[in-house]
Amino acid sequence: MSYIVLENVDYTYPDRTEPAVRSLNLVLKKGEKIALTGLNGSGKSTLAKIMLGFLKPQRGRVLLDGCPLDRYTLPEIGARLGFVSQDPGQMIFNLKVSNEIAFGLKWQGKSREETDELTGRYLRRFDLWHLRDENPFNLSEGQKQMVVICAILALAPDFLILDEPTKNIDTSRKRDLLKALRYICNQGTGIIVVSHDREFVASWGGRNIQLTNGEVVAR
Amino acid sequence: MKIDVRTKMLIAAIFSLLALIYHQVPILASLLLLNILVLVLFRVPLKVGGGLKTLLMMYGTLTFLQSLFVKSGEPLLIVGNMYLLTTDGLYYGISVILRFAILLMSGLLLMRCPVNDLLVALAKMKLPYEIVFMVLLGIRFMPMMAGEIQTTLNHVQLRGVNLRKVYKKKVIRVYLSILLPLVYSIWQKAEKLTILLELRGFRRYETREYYREIAMGKADYLIMGLTICLTVSFVYISKMYW
Repeated sequence: MSYIVLENVDYTYPDRTEPAVRSLNLVLKKGEKIALTGLNGSGKSTLAKIMLGFLKPQRGRVLLDGCPLDRYTLPEIGARLGFVSQDPGQMIFNLKVSNEIAFGLKWQGKSREETDELTGRYLRRFDLWHLRDENPFNLSEGQKQMVVICAILALAPDFLILDEPTKNIDTSRKRDLLKALRYICNQGTGIIVVSHDREFVASWGGRNIQLTNGEVVAR
Repeated sequence: MKIDVRTKMLIAAIFSLLALIYHQVPILASLLLLNILVLVLFRVPLKVGGGLKTLLMMYGTLTFLQSLFVKSGEPLLIVGNMYLLTTDGLYYGISVILRFAILLMSGLLLMRCPVNDLLVALAKMKLPYEIVFMVLLGIRFMPMMAGEIQTTLNHVQLRGVNLRKVYKKKVIRVYLSILLPLVYSIWQKAEKLTILLELRGFRRYETREYYREIAMGKADYLIMGLTICLTVSFVYISKMYW
């Protein structure tokens, strides 16, 4: 069943003349494992931002779960699509790891008991329990990334979009990340990995959507 | 004909100073017209961006609100026993808007100058280089900071915070959440920048060499002289009539 649909999408940044994304058609199914690849400036991150509603395309339309994306508010999109940016530090809103995981749950209106239970469960599942009282800003980039992924997964989105997840991490952390992503995918959450790291994408597998100059050249 | 950045600085400074000294609407209106004329003569595009438009709208609203509290003058809008707007209030509001517009237009004159020219000009005016550099760097970083704020707002909303609904109830909590990644990111960028600057020799020696040369020509002296003469005449005429 199609979950994210892009029809003839064009997007040009205000200060540019060449479109970052042009005549893009794409259908992503629920629970799919996807790698969005391409060179720097090929339009990968722009496409991710369009899917999340951060950028509004000048032409074409985007459907999320059967409805046009512009009918959703950002919190409504966030309940369906989780997003981890290139810089996880930009997505940390608390001074304690456990509070960071609980942050979105509290705003979803979950009770204290439910929030505590889910926070504990996700911290243990992603091997972050020992860091629960730490300040996330003092963690390594790889650990910060795992905290953010964990915090977003606790909100149970249908899709997780990761923008350049291997940008700041070493080989060993890449292996840990792959393991975690495979586990998440097996639980039924769709994952889109936006990356130009060929080695990581090859290990990740899944459907490869390749972009060049804002156009899909292989899928 | 290339006009030296110091000439433009003098013109901008005079306009800004006069806008702060005077509060009479006719004087401020004439100053604004003269300022626009100068911008046209210097071929500065009178384009106001989206951010400035919002700022102007905000300023307009604030001025209107302020004018509501000026009780002197003839009443223009009365609700029950309350004077909501008076002629003096309206006059005050218009004067504030004009003043703000002049300051903005003076800024436009300098905003189009190359940053390096401004830097050399300020250094030639014996201002400490470190301060000049930091101020200019701050100006250059402003659009980037606006982008960071927008990104943080997007991220916080994706995590379930509906900014439209929570503003009244949990405003402090929301702002603290937004401030945290912002301060972190600014701190990180500032730290990186300090290291990079020092690695490239910033403040390693007492003096700094400037390869860029700016020089004042005959036209600059002529324009400066004319500006001063016009300013004195303007002050004299305004004193006679207002």
